[in-house]
Amino acid sequence: MIKLGELQRCFGGVLPAIISTCSADGIPNVTYLSQVFQAGERHVALSRQFFNKTSRNIVENPYANVELIDPLTLQIYELDLRFERSETDGELFDTMSTRIQAIASQTGMSGIFKLLSADVFEVLALHEIEGVLAPPGPDDDAGAELGPTSLRTELRALSVVTERLRRARDLEELFCLLLDALHGELGFSHTMLLLPDESAKRLYTVASRGYGDSGIGAEVGMGEGLIGTVAVSGKTLRMANLGGQLRYARASGRAADATSEPQKFPEIPLPGLPDAQSQLAIPLLAAGRLAGVLTVESRSSLGFDQWHETFLEVIGHQVASAIETMMLRAEAEETLAVARASLAPTPKPALEKRVLKLCFYRNDDCVFVGDEYLIRNVPGRILWKILRSYVDSARTDFSNRELRLDPGLGLPPVKDNLESRLILLRKRLEQKCPELKLLPKSRGQFRFETSCTLELVERDSA
Amino acid sequence: MLVGTRSADLRPTGRRAFGASIDAEQRIATLFVPACGAERLLANLQDNGHVAATFARPMDSRALQIKGRCMSVHESGVHERALQDRYYAAFSEALLLLGQQPKLLRRVRYFPSFAVTFRIESMFEQTPGPGAGRGVALGLP
Repeated sequence: MIKLGELQRCFGGVLPAIISTCSADGIPNVTYLSQVFQAGERHVALSRQFFNKTSRNIVENPYANVELIDPLTLQIYELDLRFERSETDGELFDTMSTRIQAIASQTGMSGIFKLLSADVFEVLALHEIEGVLAPPGPDDDAGAELGPTSLRTELRALSVVTERLRRARDLEELFCLLLDALHGELGFSHTMLLLPDESAKRLYTVASRGYGDSGIGAEVGMGEGLIGTVAVSGKTLRMANLGGQLRYARASGRAADATSEPQKFPEIPLPGLPDAQSQLAIPLLAAGRLAGVLTVESRSSLGFDQWHETFLEVIGHQVASAIETMMLRAEAEETLAVARASLAPTPKPALEKRVLKLCFYRNDDCVFVGDEYLIRNVPGRILWKILRSYVDSARTDFSNRELRLDPGLGLPPVKDNLESRLILLRKRLEQKCPELKLLPKSRGQFRFETSCTLELVERDSA
Repeated sequence: MLVGTRSADLRPTGRRAFGASIDAEQRIATLFVPACGAERLLANLQDNGHVAATFARPMDSRALQIKGRCMSVHESGVHERALQDRYYAAFSEALLLLGQQPKLLRRVRYFPSFAVTFRIESMFEQTPGPGAGRGVALGLP
């Protein structure tokens, strides 16, 4: 006797299900169903986004029939259902709603595609359709495609990743170790880590693997797309068969760019596989507060299984706690370090011949080097403060503490993300302007170095 | 493409079909349903003949549903196999793009099958959205 819990892959939404219903006057109706949710051992839930013919039939006649396909084995299962209730709030509704919001937002359909109710059905019978597949031939390796990951392997990988994370001494090292371990131990080759900015309205990419250098600093609004939805809802999203929806959204974005005026201060595009078929996004929550979002992408629709989700959630909890702890520790140690350290200006270094022109646009705190966009917002203001101090008073040594206390930078009084902002700034400089260096000196202190003569210009706008 | 039926006590059953032919002039449709697992569907057709069929275009999810009464059911012959082969080739192509294994796809038994022929009495919009379920003029000759 098959149990619902054994059909996890069928609930992933990789292959659409079929739902059949029948009106009170005996007219059948059959249509596709994007996803079926398991709601306990004997119930499933279907999303109702519109009051369509299926919904009307269910009101008249509570019986339904659903056909599910396992995307890995292609085995077909048939469920006989009886409608039990509609839920419009609660955990199940929120989980289903988050998924729909993410797709709607990603495709620009927010407010149009939304969950009206989670319709819960009792499973009266569950059948496996026999004979769907011919017996394997001599060249077919019948069991090879199943290959379930053993619990032992999962636990070993979890242990290795945890151990590596424990070695991190600061945030930059934590991010690096995390993404390297996910690649090395789990083969996740396309990963991103995003943190909320000071306004808590946007997330910015502080580390990534598999997208080259292009993604560092890329931003996404809270509630926008899959990542923004995960950030707002605090719920993990594992999406399969993304291809069509994401291609549509990205193509729409490209079309809009092609017809509109070029942006004066371009956003850094969010990194992503143009042909991603599945995505897993995990909210990093510590004491109920969003510390960041970790995302993993794959070109395969079968890229992520239930255990990947569980695994990354465990890792995510650890990373969230580590981020919080390190931020608080950094602030405490900086205070101590400032008490000890002398912040006397150091002699101005001999200037080289090469001139580097930098421009700061006050209207959006954007820094350009030459004609190229470098960085903006808080990291932009931090960089400009450092550059001004260097040019005006030959200062090269700075402390995180003084940045925190500078009201002009706009950092919030507590949990200001300064550490991660400095990591982002350092990485952007490495990529776009290696002539400017921010070198860690001691805990909470760093040195600015350049071999160029700097020419600073400030403008109200471009 | 999908076929839906219902039993005497209004319990519905739906299956995937692999291939169809439409005689627009006569308003007659034939869909090919794999024999494996088709028992309930065939019994329903024999009982009351009510049938629904949905056709969807994967590239944009455009879909239509036709409904009518069953005229005949027969085991599809070898001469009807080519149509089913063509449909399955396109279907498996889509699954390959999703990462499915070619070896497994070759083992799917969509034949032997039953040819379900029915008279088209009504047609409905089935594209996902608020308009799904709206009647569509048959527009056939």
